[in-house]
Amino acid sequence: MTKNTTKNIIRGFCLLIMGVSFAQSPVNGFMQKAGEGGLSLSYSYESYDKVFLVPEEVDGVPVFNDVTKTSISLYGDIGISDNLNIVLNVPYIKSEGNATDATLANNGFENERSGIQDLKVYVKYRFSRFNLGENTLDLIGSIGLETPLGDYSADEGLQSIIAIGNEASSFNTFGIATFKTKSGVFATGQVGYSFRGNSVPDALISELKLGYAASKFYLDAFVANQLSDKEGVDILGEGFVGFFPATRVNYTRVGVNGYVPFFDGIGLTAGANTYIAGRNIGKSTGFYGGLVYSF
Amino acid sequence: MKNLHILKNAIVSFLLIGFLNSCETPSNYEDEDPSIAFIAVSNPNFSTLEAAAVAGGVAGPLSNPNPNDSSGDYTVFAPTNDAFARLGLNSETLGVLQKPFLTNTLLYHVSNGNLPSSAIMEGGASTSAIGVDRRFISRDGATYINGSQILATDVMASNGTVHVIDKVMIATGVDIVQSAIALQSAEVFINPELSYLVEAVLYADLAGALSASEGSPSFTVFAPTDQAFIDLGSALGLTFTQPSDIRQLPVEVVTAVLLNHVVANDGKFTPELNQGTITPLGGDDLTLGAFTNGTLTVTGAGNGGEPANMVIPDVQTTNGIVHVIDRVLLPNL
Repeated sequence: MTKNTTKNIIRGFCLLIMGVSFAQSPVNGFMQKAGEGGLSLSYSYESYDKVFLVPEEVDGVPVFNDVTKTSISLYGDIGISDNLNIVLNVPYIKSEGNATDATLANNGFENERSGIQDLKVYVKYRFSRFNLGENTLDLIGSIGLETPLGDYSADEGLQSIIAIGNEASSFNTFGIATFKTKSGVFATGQVGYSFRGNSVPDALISELKLGYAASKFYLDAFVANQLSDKEGVDILGEGFVGFFPATRVNYTRVGVNGYVPFFDGIGLTAGANTYIAGRNIGKSTGFYGGLVYSF
Repeated sequence: MKNLHILKNAIVSFLLIGFLNSCETPSNYEDEDPSIAFIAVSNPNFSTLEAAAVAGGVAGPLSNPNPNDSSGDYTVFAPTNDAFARLGLNSETLGVLQKPFLTNTLLYHVSNGNLPSSAIMEGGASTSAIGVDRRFISRDGATYINGSQILATDVMASNGTVHVIDKVMIATGVDIVQSAIALQSAEVFINPELSYLVEAVLYADLAGALSASEGSPSFTVFAPTDQAFIDLGSALGLTFTQPSDIRQLPVEVVTAVLLNHVVANDGKFTPELNQGTITPLGGDDLTLGAFTNGTLTVTGAGNGGEPANMVIPDVQTTNGIVHVIDRVLLPNL
């Protein structure tokens, strides 16, 4: 019973990490078993009024003063086999600025951009599992495609400060290692590389996560990084022509995630995260909550 | 098994190295100079300039090296928020300006190459990005560019140099008459201004004298606002509701009044004007007040001691300097 619950927690958690698409890596370090999977629906909120620019952080988002992003994400994954999973995610995002009416009128801008963002499809394959006493080490590889599903634009000049995405397709690869102990403590790390279109700089992505999955709950803490290729431009720096997808976006983000099952196969998840360093990105803090259904 | 062990170590090493190398730190860029655009965006005293640069379309160019100069640098004389506020302008009210005028005005503050403060001296000049020269003036230990006092110098940027000034500089690029017509035809503000003055100049047939031509003189012109003319009408017991109402006055009177606003002294910016009297073309002395906070009052002989204030000082035209004032200067009629 306890073992089953723990398994459900891990399974439930598999679903939710990607539900918050900006916050963390699109793939987690856990595998669904063959025929098992799930769906999650989550809501996220994040806002910022400071921006990491070069050479320093600035107070107040240019034009828009502060920016709030909310999203509703639909996420699903399924185990084709114990070692092969498919992951799908589609977020609807609303991005709102706080520019004054006069500023909007003078520039022909609007305070809101919203729509369905990018479809994200990943394949995850566990190519080895090592049993180290009562602990296990899984080595997982993942590749994925992300491509705009909605008809949003990222090419509206400074209006695109509040664009909901980069309007770019990307091909992504990840190497993941997950170490689990019998006690429920686990560590999972991943490094990936993202090849991106629409002049978006390619990026090295990494994430380290430490957590604990007990019978009544799941909890983890993570640090996630992105380092963009140096070919990207800095906002208000050399090469900047008001086209935001081409900017060099780096960040270090930390956060926590939690999950509690409350009915057979159904659980609640919530988390919080914040940027502690960055380049050409809002100094954002966000929260999310969601409902997870496992089958 | 051995292969798996190697594979495991390789992957763990890859993860570790990748992770350690992927942290963003400020030391990656903290030594870089900010661009001129960044300086405007990051400094709260330049928030109006930031909004103007965004609306006027110069934020992108001022983020980048100057393509029109081999050094890749610009020099920008950056007006503070207080400088814009003198004209009633802030990020909320910039919309009263026509975009082409706004852009030209911003570019008038920009020049190619680096102009360090050490190269700025009395009597010198600097050509702006719109081709019109600005001149440097020293007064009471302060240095001015046109009518604008230079408050701080040599803020270094990755793409040039920024000096801070206390007034927005305005150049029309055309002569006095055409400048007034630009305001009257709403090419500067979205609402017409100086409409009565333009009408009066046409009525008095002075357009030729105030237009630039080969060898023509330069003037200092005090240009009353529309409200100033409406107020004059009220004082005379008349009701001015449209510019042509100025024709209710005899043409000789209008001519005499207009000539009371024009001084043939090569065109002077405010820091070049001194307290005391100057003689306009009409002949009755005008009295200038003290040079205070970058402006002076001006009083006509027939104004009964009521001075006019400069609402837009130091407008550079091709044949003189125009100071827009809030009262019509009356001669002894």
